Amino acid sequence: MASPAALPPLPFNPSRVRSYVLRLPLFTRLVVLAIIVFWLLEFQTVWSVVQWGALIPDEIGLSTMYRLNTYPVIHTGFFHAFINLLALVPLLERFEAEHGTLTAIALFIGPLSTFPAGIYLLIEKFVLHSNTSVAGASVWVFLLLGSESIRTFKSNPYFSLGNYKIPTWTSPLFACAVVWMLVSNTSVLGHLSAVLIGYLLGLGYLKVFVPPEKILRWIEGKLNLLGRLPHYVSVDQKTYGRFGVLPTAGAPGGERGTPMSFMAALRNLRNNPKFLFVRLPYILSFLCVVAGVVWLFLLPLDDYSRKTYISENALLPGQVHAYFSGSEQHIFRGYKKELEGLLGDNAGDEVQEQKSEERTPVISDKIQSILKAAGLKVATQGYQYTSSGITHEGENIYAIIQAPRGDATEAIVLVAAWKTVDGELNLNGVSLALTLARYFKRWSLWSKDIIFVFPPDSKSGTQAWIDAYHDMQPPTVQPLPLKSGALQGGLVIEYPFNHRFENLHIVYDGVNGQLPNLDLFNTAVSISGGQMGIGTRLQEMWEHNGSYEKRLQTMLRGMVKQGFGYATGAHSSFMPYHIDAITLQTQGNGWQDEMALGRTVEGLCRSLNNLLEHLHQSFFFYLLMQTHRFVSIGTYLPSAMLIAGNFTIMAISIWLRTGYYENPKSSDTAAAPQDEKSEKAQLAAKDQGVVAVAQQPTEKVAERQLALPLTLVVGLHLLGLIPLYIFNNLSHDTYTLATFTSIAINAALPLLVSLLLSRTPTTTQQKAHLIKSLSLLLLGLFLSTLATLNFSLSFMIGLLCAPLSFVHRITPETSPGLRYALSLSGLFFLNLVSPPVVLLAGCAYYGVSVETVLTEAAFGWDVWGMWTQVVVWCVWWPAWVVGGAVVGTSMF
Amino acid sequence: MPVDRRKAAVFGGALALRLLLLLLFPSLPDLLTGRVEVSTPVTSFKRLQEGLFLYNRNASPYDGGVFHQAPLLLPIFSLLPNAQEYPFPTALFYSLVDLLNASALVTISDSAQAVSGRLYSSVRKQIKWDGVVVAAWFLFNPFTIATCLGRSTAVFTTTGILYALSAAVQGQNLNSMLALGFASYLSIYPALLFIPLVLLCYDRRAQRSNITPSTALFVVKHFAVFLLSIAGLLGISLLIIGDLFALISATYGFQLLVPDLTPNIGLWWYFFIEIFDSFRDFFLGVFWLHLTAYAGSLTVRLRRQPLFVVTSLLGIFAVFKPYPSISDASLYFALLPLYRHIFPLMRYTFFSVSALLYASLLGPAFYHLWIYAGSGNANFFYAITLVWSLGLSLVIADTIFAALRDEWEQENPDQRGRPVKQV
Repeated sequence: MASPAALPPLPFNPSRVRSYVLRLPLFTRLVVLAIIVFWLLEFQTVWSVVQWGALIPDEIGLSTMYRLNTYPVIHTGFFHAFINLLALVPLLERFEAEHGTLTAIALFIGPLSTFPAGIYLLIEKFVLHSNTSVAGASVWVFLLLGSESIRTFKSNPYFSLGNYKIPTWTSPLFACAVVWMLVSNTSVLGHLSAVLIGYLLGLGYLKVFVPPEKILRWIEGKLNLLGRLPHYVSVDQKTYGRFGVLPTAGAPGGERGTPMSFMAALRNLRNNPKFLFVRLPYILSFLCVVAGVVWLFLLPLDDYSRKTYISENALLPGQVHAYFSGSEQHIFRGYKKELEGLLGDNAGDEVQEQKSEERTPVISDKIQSILKAAGLKVATQGYQYTSSGITHEGENIYAIIQAPRGDATEAIVLVAAWKTVDGELNLNGVSLALTLARYFKRWSLWSKDIIFVFPPDSKSGTQAWIDAYHDMQPPTVQPLPLKSGALQGGLVIEYPFNHRFENLHIVYDGVNGQLPNLDLFNTAVSISGGQMGIGTRLQEMWEHNGSYEKRLQTMLRGMVKQGFGYATGAHSSFMPYHIDAITLQTQGNGWQDEMALGRTVEGLCRSLNNLLEHLHQSFFFYLLMQTHRFVSIGTYLPSAMLIAGNFTIMAISIWLRTGYYENPKSSDTAAAPQDEKSEKAQLAAKDQGVVAVAQQPTEKVAERQLALPLTLVVGLHLLGLIPLYIFNNLSHDTYTLATFTSIAINAALPLLVSLLLSRTPTTTQQKAHLIKSLSLLLLGLFLSTLATLNFSLSFMIGLLCAPLSFVHRITPETSPGLRYALSLSGLFFLNLVSPPVVLLAGCAYYGVSVETVLTEAAFGWDVWGMWTQVVVWCVWWPAWVVGGAVVGTSMF
Repeated sequence: MPVDRRKAAVFGGALALRLLLLLLFPSLPDLLTGRVEVSTPVTSFKRLQEGLFLYNRNASPYDGGVFHQAPLLLPIFSLLPNAQEYPFPTALFYSLVDLLNASALVTISDSAQAVSGRLYSSVRKQIKWDGVVVAAWFLFNPFTIATCLGRSTAVFTTTGILYALSAAVQGQNLNSMLALGFASYLSIYPALLFIPLVLLCYDRRAQRSNITPSTALFVVKHFAVFLLSIAGLLGISLLIIGDLFALISATYGFQLLVPDLTPNIGLWWYFFIEIFDSFRDFFLGVFWLHLTAYAGSLTVRLRRQPLFVVTSLLGIFAVFKPYPSISDASLYFALLPLYRHIFPLMRYTFFSVSALLYASLLGPAFYHLWIYAGSGNANFFYAITLVWSLGLSLVIADTIFAALRDEWEQENPDQRGRPVKQV
């Protein structure tokens, strides 16, 4: 394609523009980038960049001083940004090429932004008393123009326009005036103050702000900025003058400033094994952990959480009229009186407060006779559990209403435990359940059986009952004489005081962090809030105003409960059998009476009665942060996965590092880049972590001695079974002692392991690396699997284990004093995050005794089938011991 | 014969570990027997018990459509006491079968056929594990232990295949064909190993006596032996069952037509659940054709290493079989350590091992979410079986690459260690 000969050659050569752009120095590039980034950021609507960063005189305070530095890179629109860029780039490039990148950064981030801003502010605020906000790089443009004009003035003082001689230093003022006249919305005052500072700069008065050259050179030399940063202009450039020697001297690679420089930078990075294999994994791992945590903290925001909604159309919450009222209240009172009269009768004590609140056989008989009188089939079930040397026994009473319109294949459970989960007497709840039983019996609309269960306590009773219902009971629990169909849902009623209540507290956490279907929770919220006008609360957040902090607090409380995996109420035992259940607790002092609670329960039962199939539509994995807001698994899972991923990244990188010996000749850079093996060998060549043990210098690929690390890691994981067994089978009064003993053993065990490791023949460094790699790989595996089962537990353990990614063996080349100090302090720090110490700290924070917690945990293991301990002892603890042992090897 | 102490330690340790696990966790065998990863419809011990119950009461074991395994297993197992009441003898029996398999592996490894055969000898033959280490990898592989404790009848097929190999490398061709016949009789797919196995026998024969027999005649003769052994076993089975058609349709028909789509770790069940019935026959054909196609093509490509062809085929079966279980994977992983010398040439070891580890942890977790917790669905588990299959196929592809590379380096000694790019 020959161009027509008649056309004159183009006035500018595109290739020159290209090479100019490609040769822009570093700081200029950064400024251009910043301007473009901020301009792009302005497109979103959530966060007004201009409002945030512009120089607004009235907004300036101590905390908003950043505006003095940000305003030059923020623009109000495309043309503003574009024209300023066009003007700024040549000037800034000149300045940087002349003074060096470091000086340019120091000046432009510091005085050259803040001084014009200061002058502008002074005049605008205190002289003119107005509040015009300014932003844009034009301040730098005029500043640089000012300084250039002084320079021109020195060499070429006057323009001659006819007879008039105009001093050249006035040219920026003309420019300023022209811009003022031609372009609207420009701040002439801002430009003038910039020109003024420019004059001062040109005259050399601002030289004091330039950092001394010695320091700059020192920084440059120490950090090897020239070698690392592409397009970096050295301080030395000054000596060559503005158009002196191109800044290639001393730069390795030499491609700097050429179009290939980007590729070269990449290649430099690839050839930098230290960075790729030693530094980068740490950075990536750290970023993963940080991103995981930040992700979690973003969840309560409106953009990430969703409003709850009812998925299952069959539920129809609040669509039926609840008839439970009026005369039923008399019956309620009658039942309550009857039960109250029997309280503590066998104790023979007159004082009301000291009456025994235990459910005596007399009361049991009473409850049974009431149920029988109402026409229900009644049965009892005795049970006994022994855990930590404490025996829990009792007798469940339960009664079944057979569905008039059903075939006994499905059932709903209503539970009223004699004692609430906090150990309070649940007299109102039990009376209400009895009243409801009598009331429900008379309705003909039930298509599912309704089972009323009256366990003596909230911890073990329902567990014994539900286990026996599914024929999974241990030998100490009696089987059920009477059964019904598949349970579709469960409701637990707790009304442990005598005054009226204000809100309903919905408890939904199950054993091992399993949750009921979100539809059940939503139905409860919708019926009590929408139909009955009773407020609902969750996670003991009595005051919830929907703010970010409250949401976060609610979510974290839910996560802690989920993570510990203990039963939070009588409903929790239902969850492992895939029966959705919640507890309704009354709370506060308001004007709602037991009838309102009864109507809510009636409404819920009617909704559950409508179900055509098991609750399955809505979410089973969610974090609630308000009664009407939740996050689903897809949104929150990445958080725990990122944290688990950090271990895998570290494991892979260490694995790669172990594969290669240190190559004494690291100069063979000419090897073909496709050759994976030889390249990796090169990459690892400078890896200081690998001790040179190359018996055969020709063999670059190191043989990994896997047998010992594999055995050690697998063995430690199996060893975790021992503390697991001990802590689940001790008597409850020895738990405190056992905890302190395990802290002591934990302090010694890593040292012992590392001592043993240092006695084996192969090099300790490779062993330490392999052990750490395998252990972290397993940890990452376990935690990511766990995240799908119990997100919160995985997240918490992941965070507590995060330091294990970053501890490593200190190379024997380090001076012994430093080495011992570092490894000892590392071990000390690790001991602070060991499982028993964390347990103690947690107990101290919540103000409960270790004995209580461990007794509860053992009870959970024995009765509820809780496996939090398994995760602690067989996942966390082995990883922790390995981390300690890896640090410990530095000492031997 | 002096007792090899290392071997005794490994074998004793493996036996002790199995019995210890049984002692410490008495519920473990029943748990594992119920796991879909261990028990498939054609290898399940529970189904075997059902067949046994019917057999002991003189009913046809195939009545009721639960039992689909070879009838010869029934008289063997009816000799053992009831596993429900006395689990120990059965566990001991299975552990001993594992040890037998391991001893066959030792024989295979000690013959060094994996590193140097008649037509081919690796340049890296000095890198090699001895038989005891190979046996240890097999015996202490968690998959093997799980299969053993789960009492899957796939272990007998494993025995057949391993003994066919060990007889072949020792030059006992007749025994080899008989053992392969036994394995094929139990579960039909080992018949696909006939081609590489007969080549292995042929190579051994040619190596021993310098006169090379006629290939065609050799193959035909051995094929006849192979067929005869199957026919003999079927004949004995007829004595037990009586109805040949019922026998064939309940066992081989069941394995070929895949009517039971209980989830397993393979790729077939989900596909055939989803597919429209009108396409079922077509895709059944396609899937089987796909599976059989490997036998011929791999044999042609890797003619010089027939034992490696067998190994790779076993890996492929573990992925693409209709009813695979972890016992198939454990058989493949049992033979892989024979190829210690090509491990340095493999490129994705860490990645594929990680994928397999992730899959073996997430698989049970997702199955739990699907079946027990009800909070997941079938796609969860199927996704993980895909990851598992991906991991296995990566290992297979990687080993085949490494073996080819090893051959190439033997042909071009000057190119050793040079980079190679696949196009």
